[in-house]
Amino acid sequence: MAMYNFEQKYRVRGGTLLGGDLFDFWVGPFYVGLFGVSTIFFATLGTLLIIYGAAIGPTWNIWQIDIAPPDIKYGLALAPLKAGGLWQLITVCAIGAFVSWALRQAEISRKLGMTYHVPIAYSFAVLAYVTLEVIRPVLMGAWGVAFPYGILAHLDWVSNTGYQYLHFHYNPAHMIAISFFFTTTLILAMHGGAILSAANPQKGQPVKFGEHENAFFRDTIGYSIGTLGIHRLGLFCALSAAFWSAVCIVISGPFWTQGWPAWWNWWLQLPIWR
Amino acid sequence: MAGLVELVAAIADLALSNKKNAQENAMAEYQNIFTRIQPRGPIQTVPLPLGDDNRLGATHSHLLGIFGDAQLGPFYLGRLGVASLICGFIAFEVIGLNMLASVNWNFVQFIRQLPWLGLEPPPPSLGLTILPPLNEGGWWLIAGFFLTASILLWWARMYRRAVQLGMGTHVAWAFASAIWLYLVLGFIRPILMGSWGEAVPFGIFPHLDWTASFSLRYGNLFYNPFHMLSIAFLYGSTLLFAMHAATVLATGRYGSEREVEQIVHRGTAFERGMLFWRWTMGFNATAESIHRWAWWFAVLTTLTGGIGILLTGTAVDNWYLWGMKHHIVAPYPHIGVPDPGPLSAIGGTGAAQ
Amino acid sequence: MKSMELVKVLGAVGALAVAGVAFFTFERPPVNVVQRGYRGTGLDEIYNPRHLAAEAALNKVPAMLPQMQVGPLAKTVYKNVQVLGDVHVGEFTRLMASMTAWVAPKEGCAYCHNVNNMADDSKYTKKVARKMILMVRDINSNWTDHVKKVGVTCYTCHRGNNVPQYIWFKNDGPPEAGGFAETYTGKNLMIGPDHSSLPYDPYSAFLKQDPHTIRVQSTTALPSGDRHSIKQAEWTYALMIHFSTSLGVNCTYCHNTRAFGDWSQSTPQRVTAWYGVKMVRDVNINYLEPVQSMLPAYRLGPSGDGPKVFCMTCHQGAYKPLYGAAMAPNFPELYLASADTSTDSGDSGMTPAAPTETAPATATEPTTPSTTPPAAAPPAATPAPTTPMPPAASPAPTAQPPQP
Repeated sequence: MAMYNFEQKYRVRGGTLLGGDLFDFWVGPFYVGLFGVSTIFFATLGTLLIIYGAAIGPTWNIWQIDIAPPDIKYGLALAPLKAGGLWQLITVCAIGAFVSWALRQAEISRKLGMTYHVPIAYSFAVLAYVTLEVIRPVLMGAWGVAFPYGILAHLDWVSNTGYQYLHFHYNPAHMIAISFFFTTTLILAMHGGAILSAANPQKGQPVKFGEHENAFFRDTIGYSIGTLGIHRLGLFCALSAAFWSAVCIVISGPFWTQGWPAWWNWWLQLPIWR
Repeated sequence: MAGLVELVAAIADLALSNKKNAQENAMAEYQNIFTRIQPRGPIQTVPLPLGDDNRLGATHSHLLGIFGDAQLGPFYLGRLGVASLICGFIAFEVIGLNMLASVNWNFVQFIRQLPWLGLEPPPPSLGLTILPPLNEGGWWLIAGFFLTASILLWWARMYRRAVQLGMGTHVAWAFASAIWLYLVLGFIRPILMGSWGEAVPFGIFPHLDWTASFSLRYGNLFYNPFHMLSIAFLYGSTLLFAMHAATVLATGRYGSEREVEQIVHRGTAFERGMLFWRWTMGFNATAESIHRWAWWFAVLTTLTGGIGILLTGTAVDNWYLWGMKHHIVAPYPHIGVPDPGPLSAIGGTGAAQ
Repeated sequence: MKSMELVKVLGAVGALAVAGVAFFTFERPPVNVVQRGYRGTGLDEIYNPRHLAAEAALNKVPAMLPQMQVGPLAKTVYKNVQVLGDVHVGEFTRLMASMTAWVAPKEGCAYCHNVNNMADDSKYTKKVARKMILMVRDINSNWTDHVKKVGVTCYTCHRGNNVPQYIWFKNDGPPEAGGFAETYTGKNLMIGPDHSSLPYDPYSAFLKQDPHTIRVQSTTALPSGDRHSIKQAEWTYALMIHFSTSLGVNCTYCHNTRAFGDWSQSTPQRVTAWYGVKMVRDVNINYLEPVQSMLPAYRLGPSGDGPKVFCMTCHQGAYKPLYGAAMAPNFPELYLASADTSTDSGDSGMTPAAPTETAPATATEPTTPSTTPPAAAPPAATPAPTTPMPPAASPAPTAQPPQP
């Protein structure tokens, strides 16, 4: 596999977290490393288990395939393979693969002299997944409350789990999470648009740089957070979206069992209104 | 489990290497989250293009400077800006005063119930009446008119500022995609359905009630493929921004934040960033193309979302049944019951017929 | 750096407030999960065991006097016994004593009776009580599709109160400015069901004479003339939230929410609720509204209407009133003697017409009251077809939202 013309000088030995020089090599564009090996192991095993689950299920229709967690009666115990055990194994593989991937990102960061922003950011996504599939089920005492592996099946789970709380939009953490998702997308459009509009100016105009990006946002909205600040803000909002998503689901059940609209009653009952 | 063990080992390893290596230590410290030193020069601007009004005041804020740029302003108002703000203010007042009226001008209740209060579109019985009674959705139409005017004027202003500054109009066109979704929700779809009553009310909880009821009425929005796409792009946008922002911050000490410079003359910052993703996932963007990915993901969020809303009730009346038709519904073993019949009339057991 | 100090102080206050809200407004594990559908679908009831314990204490069955089917018939002993004449006098006395304990424990017999002349009908409460006995008999005998073998007694609703704690009146909402400002949308205030901003009086719209259509979801994939509006869906949603909060269950108790309208994916409890809607309407129309004219003004609602019943009146937060304790069978006189149906009174003589429609599968009745609903029968081994049921009679097209 061909390398970029500038790539050779960056492909140096060292920087691994574990495994020393053993897996310190590249395959095509991919860096391998010990965590690359463990990623491949978990991802392959998990995928094969999903395929097996589909094979023993009623359908090969990609939209309909459903590999569900065990019945509630199994609590936090291991379930028979065909009654949710498969789901448990796949979950272990998924977490193994996700954690390996994060550590692999950390190794590559070290190799390239970068700080750990990417693996830390990725950890928030993993945290949200682990919250859904491990932390919340543990708090509720059964793997059965976790979401199933299936395209439409997981949407059905979202629907039913939402309506367990009568009107999920009233979940305050859900409100915050959605606001962060929308905000992140908004500022992503603004940032992407700003860079593209500076680099692709009006016909006959020279390429613009940071001064013009700043001027554009100062002119239009009164403030430009700046070239560095926008990346801080973007990362903060994106991670907040993942974090509050995890919060909004972990409080639904373990920390709130009623309709979400009723939660707001504390606000209505504050003594300041008397 | 294996992953966890590795994580612990890796952290231990990292701690050891940090102690050993001063450079590593500096690396752990330099996380690029806050700005430590804020040199303060004169207010920065680019020259005003010919024919533009003057810009309005500017100042520095130490607080803003910790996280972003310390300079606040100068702001360009202009005629479009003035018109937009006036329209926006009118809409804001119409909505707020109607909310206040709904609690009988009681300010305490207004604050207390603010998230519950709303301004509703006209009842469906009034169809597309252009001037319904003020107390039956008339104010909603007025507020909607001025809000739309405000937004469209603001769009023109974004477009105009970009042109005046000699820049591309990418931001304005991304904004247009969001306006598309807004117009579909409050204007285009209600017109196609023949009723303003289909539109979204103003208000915090009321618009959430509308959202849930919209999905209930039209048979589960999760089965709407454009809703699926929109959510995928929303999550994708968040993922992309996290990946991009983290990469830029992680290569901050190589000057990665000067992105247009990196576009026209790639330096080690973006070389490292590019190689990071190439080595991680076998594929990478460039300093320019990552912003094209970003722009498209964000734009497609509202573009596909708007299509999904537009099709609901006009082309598809029950998304779950649409899913049945197209064989995407997961089969569960379940218990079902026969339909006992409509509840629309009084009757059945023992009631007056 | 004065601004920094200010920010720090404000930040500390804010953090304290957030911590307070987070700590004091939520519940805590452990929670109970009751599975009621195929695994991994989220068809579960979620319970806080501390709440259940508190609810159980509120829903205890009171001590009951032993049955006394002895003595001559009441009509031969007492004067002016219009409804309970064919009851043995022992049983009659027992019921009177029980009713006193259930409805007027403080006031005693004098709440309904002129104690100098027990046959006297001068007190309105006595006339209402007579009507209510007819209602209870009607419910227990003709509405078994809803009340099953559990039945109802005065206690089911009254719980020791003169007027049941949970009743409803027509609700026009609190005063609004009116005039040309937006007025009386019937929603967007803090008084909606479960403290939502949904319509706050879905009961007037659905639970009495001339009810609005509850079914608002289209029954065809593509548009076919169903003009139910989103606003109407909000009214149905409000009613359904009332169902849930009254029974202490969530939406999945009856529905697979991926297809709310689909009976082929619903639980047997949805059929029970369906009969419940019919029963509540019947009771409001034939018993509560006629009672209105007997009531003194202070028993009427702000719009001058009499009190009416809804799910909460009996259920009071339990999936079955009193968690399914069968009190009524201990009082045979609270059932219509099948032969007596026609002799009792004109307006209670409605003969059951419907239950022949479709006999729904019913979950097994637990023998002892349990605070959590039973888990659904284990799912069948073979996947049932997911084809939705053919639609019932298509609802009348209407573009009008229900007006309270």
